[in-house]
Amino acid sequence: MAELRLTMTAEARNVLTDLLRLIAPAAARVSVNRAQIPDGDKEVASFWTESLSAQAGEEARLLAAAFANAKGEPAVIILKNEAQSLAFLRALSAVRFALRELVFSDIPDDQLERAEDLDDDNLPNEKRHALACYSCFGLLQQSLISQIDSEAFD
Amino acid sequence: MAKPKIKPEIGTEKVVSVSPHWNVVVLNDPVNYQDYVVIVLTNVLGISHTQAKKYMLIVHNEGRAIVWTGKLERAEMIVLELQQWHLSARLEKNG
Repeated sequence: MAELRLTMTAEARNVLTDLLRLIAPAAARVSVNRAQIPDGDKEVASFWTESLSAQAGEEARLLAAAFANAKGEPAVIILKNEAQSLAFLRALSAVRFALRELVFSDIPDDQLERAEDLDDDNLPNEKRHALACYSCFGLLQQSLISQIDSEAFD
Repeated sequence: MAKPKIKPEIGTEKVVSVSPHWNVVVLNDPVNYQDYVVIVLTNVLGISHTQAKKYMLIVHNEGRAIVWTGKLERAEMIVLELQQWHLSARLEKNG
């Protein structure tokens, strides 16, 4: 698979980078809390928790590096191969879940599934800002999906 | 030779040890896109795009789908991997 590119304005890149700095440290906790870890065997449960935490740490580093390296106008994130692209796709899912759990857990699931249609005029500024970033991360994910798998939008 | 007065009862009992099977269940969530779920299922389970899409639609329409059934150790690894991809997955004992 050829290298994939995600393009955004420099302003969007700056806003998303700032948000990532805030949200990344909590993403590991969210990932572990969400998971239904079997508790029958302590050794298995411990391995499970460590695996999820390590994964979240890697994802945070990957996102931070990718956004930091996307300089210029427009800002471009270059993913060199399929493994990098899939890892980035997964990391974007992690950050969207972290935002969902930490910032707008009060929004019902069915409304969040159509986040783009949400009437956010009455939301506090921070929440509206987070929701906009949530949608931006989603757009990046969709762009990546359409490049990875042309069948995805059949 | 005297015949034994008590006739021993000899019988056989067939004992079959069956390991319980475990289901890997994927639950619907409001965050992941449908196409993302298809990519994850294809990669983790090694199934075709068509089969993955079928599972995804069951999850979307019914709230959950059993995507794999088998031995505990393998089922645990699959659930962990799906969770690492941020799908809502869990183990359930089959039967």
